[in-house]
Amino acid sequence: MAALDIPEVQKFMASVPPFSSLELAQRAQLLHGVSMLYVRQGQTMTLEGDSATVHLIRRGACEIRTPKGGLVDQIADGECFGVFSVMSQNADGLQVVAMEDSLFYRFEKARFLDALASNEAFGLFFEHTQHNRLRKLSRRQNNELSSPAFQLSMPVTQIMTRQLIQASPDETVQAIAMRMTDARVSSILVLEQGRLLGIVTDRDLRSRILALGGSANSLVADVMTESPRTLSPDALVMEAQTLMSESNVHHLPIVDDELKVVGMLTAADLLRHQELSPLLLMNQIHRQQSVESLAQVCKQWPTLIINLVVTDMKPADIGKVLATLSDSLIKRLIELAQQQFGPAPMAFQFLVFGSQARRDQSLGSDQDNGLMLEREPTNDESAYFTALSEFVCQGLALCGVRLCPGNIMASNLKWRMTKAGWQQMFSTWIKSSSPNALLNASIFFDIRCVYGDDAAVDELLEGMQQEIEKNSLFLATLTRSALAAKPPLGFFRSFVLESSGEHKNQLDLKHQGLALINDLARLYGLSCRTYRVGTLERIEQAIREKRMSVDTAGNLMDAWEQLNELRLETQSVSWQTSGKASAYLDPTRLSPLERKHLKTTFSIISEVQDVAQQRFLRGYS
Amino acid sequence: MLIEALKNHWHARQMTKRSWCDWDYLVLDIETTGLDAKQDKIVSFGWVCVQNGTIDLDSARHIVLEGAEIGESVGIHMITDSDVALLGKKQESVLRYLRQLLRKRILVMHHGPMELGFLKQAWQEAALPAFSVSWLDTLAIERTKANRNQQPIVEGGFRLGESRKRYGLPDYDGHDALTDALATAELLLAQAAYQGVDCRLHDLNQMGGGRTRLVSRLSL
Repeated sequence: MAALDIPEVQKFMASVPPFSSLELAQRAQLLHGVSMLYVRQGQTMTLEGDSATVHLIRRGACEIRTPKGGLVDQIADGECFGVFSVMSQNADGLQVVAMEDSLFYRFEKARFLDALASNEAFGLFFEHTQHNRLRKLSRRQNNELSSPAFQLSMPVTQIMTRQLIQASPDETVQAIAMRMTDARVSSILVLEQGRLLGIVTDRDLRSRILALGGSANSLVADVMTESPRTLSPDALVMEAQTLMSESNVHHLPIVDDELKVVGMLTAADLLRHQELSPLLLMNQIHRQQSVESLAQVCKQWPTLIINLVVTDMKPADIGKVLATLSDSLIKRLIELAQQQFGPAPMAFQFLVFGSQARRDQSLGSDQDNGLMLEREPTNDESAYFTALSEFVCQGLALCGVRLCPGNIMASNLKWRMTKAGWQQMFSTWIKSSSPNALLNASIFFDIRCVYGDDAAVDELLEGMQQEIEKNSLFLATLTRSALAAKPPLGFFRSFVLESSGEHKNQLDLKHQGLALINDLARLYGLSCRTYRVGTLERIEQAIREKRMSVDTAGNLMDAWEQLNELRLETQSVSWQTSGKASAYLDPTRLSPLERKHLKTTFSIISEVQDVAQQRFLRGYS
Repeated sequence: MLIEALKNHWHARQMTKRSWCDWDYLVLDIETTGLDAKQDKIVSFGWVCVQNGTIDLDSARHIVLEGAEIGESVGIHMITDSDVALLGKKQESVLRYLRQLLRKRILVMHHGPMELGFLKQAWQEAALPAFSVSWLDTLAIERTKANRNQQPIVEGGFRLGESRKRYGLPDYDGHDALTDALATAELLLAQAAYQGVDCRLHDLNQMGGGRTRLVSRLSL
């Protein structure tokens, strides 16, 4: 009997490349002598002795780090580490740190080497992995940056407390106070049937019991703060920080999709992990008192982005960090404007469009924004909003967020409307059947509220979704507009490069690549019942609502991640060498494998375009 | 004699103070035709061994017994009469094999009373030398842990799948004896890891372990 006869092992191996490409007999050979181990979060494994071999992650997540702690790669389920130690004796002394509790398969070195030798595709795959990590490693060593940025970008799960201290609502405060003292914690979660009802903190006990002379037999239910603010496990440390400082709380329960509490994050946890982070750009933004000083602070912005790229943060997370920063910047500018011009005469929302709305900004993104007003303004009121938005948009420009060349900005009277006005605008776009009209309007369909009560914006979006559902022609028109551009791949799978001008023989990763995926995601997103604004979120929603197959969606998301990573890298290099954030890439600078990968990425876009054409244009073209 | 016994006892006590990794384990799951050890029969055994704190997948065994009457339980276990015909082994020879493996290993089960009940019964009916087996019960460990942390666990929360979830272990679809044995072995690794790097057998034993003597009714 062999490991391959265990159904769950067999199933997993058959689903994970490159193991899936092995023939059954080869797989059985490789699996001889395999053992499984479990490593707790935070534990470090040095790839020496017994461990100097290839490990496959069955479940979990790890970081590969240099001996000095520099990040080389982040890997998760179905990915391998230890390839170095098998192929080249791990000369760099890489270490593996478990970022989650992880379960591994550990292969026997000799069997693994046999498999490498006997199956070319298998060997090639690991060569590629190794090549990629080497590239990241060398980049890491060339950039002796400490990793403050990394601190902000860590998921909250890495610093939260998992040992939860809990109470039920019908306990007395004395009972829970004793438990809190025993456990030496400053807060306790109130749960009923696993559902989070509320939270009681030291402060609550002080102010709601002691200060009022309340009884030690008071019930928890009467003292707790009901439905406290929470964060999801995939939130970043930075988001936690924002939420805490904005809502003035020091305890955030971390709650997963199924409303189960998985951890607790306190201000103290944050503080402990901040020592290395001098550049809490965000905190600085909150503290600045003038546009000039804000602009000064924002000079660190490009460096921050480059740091994020260098520390190999995922593009989607870089987008999140930048969106949080730009949102704070806008909020701060609005506050400063109100200090100067007085409080607003009516409620309003500050809307952002395009990349900021989608949370995928990068270096040199420009601003696209508008205002939504509570009612039609009088002349005086209109003048107030002109002054305010002029202040904000010019302020953003001073802080490095370029003015919109198409003048889609709140400072433009045209983009300051009431809710009814915006509804009318969307209605016109949705009913128009000209792809050209939509081409210029498409960024408005990526919309997010950054300041003000977002309920009104949600209503606007709901109305928009309903209108789209009624106008079946709209999606067809949007499809035509989305398919107008094709990825730069020629008939014989060669790149189609710019034929002249400044970027001769280069590829435009942004407009010829990412934009096409964003367009497709928008199309599928708008065909769903629930509105999502981010590209990855839209694709995920399309899976959930069965608009897209899991395979297609997975490929498209991978393509987006890959292109985004390449774009961010290209832009960082260009910024450092020329001060311009150009997303043009000379493909000859890539290794043959990377070129092959990029071609595959473009062909995935092509394929999904074909699928979209089938789905949305059938019967209309 | 007495001194010898005391020495053995002392030795055993010292041993439990060593790291849990220094011991070998055999993680067992058996599938039966029902819940009553007196009436129902064992259908199949699944096991996998743990050494140096890792699961040795080469040691995995899935053995379907010869002549087991299956009938109603097929829905749960997915073993069919043809499996028995094809792979069936004699219960006694499997028990002999198991005994040999268990002489140097600690038996691990999820919900021990069930497995132990059937093993005791099987031993009574077989012509096998008596012997004592040390065991750990991952369910008992889980329950002790919950009690210590004052974490109320909802009904069914100690079942294998639910317990595994608390450690981030993957969902396994299959429920044959071998899959459950592997699933239990992974749970054991996780429980030990959660005790910290210096987890001793003694700690696990206190949370959910014991020793049971298996005796044959047929005198040998």
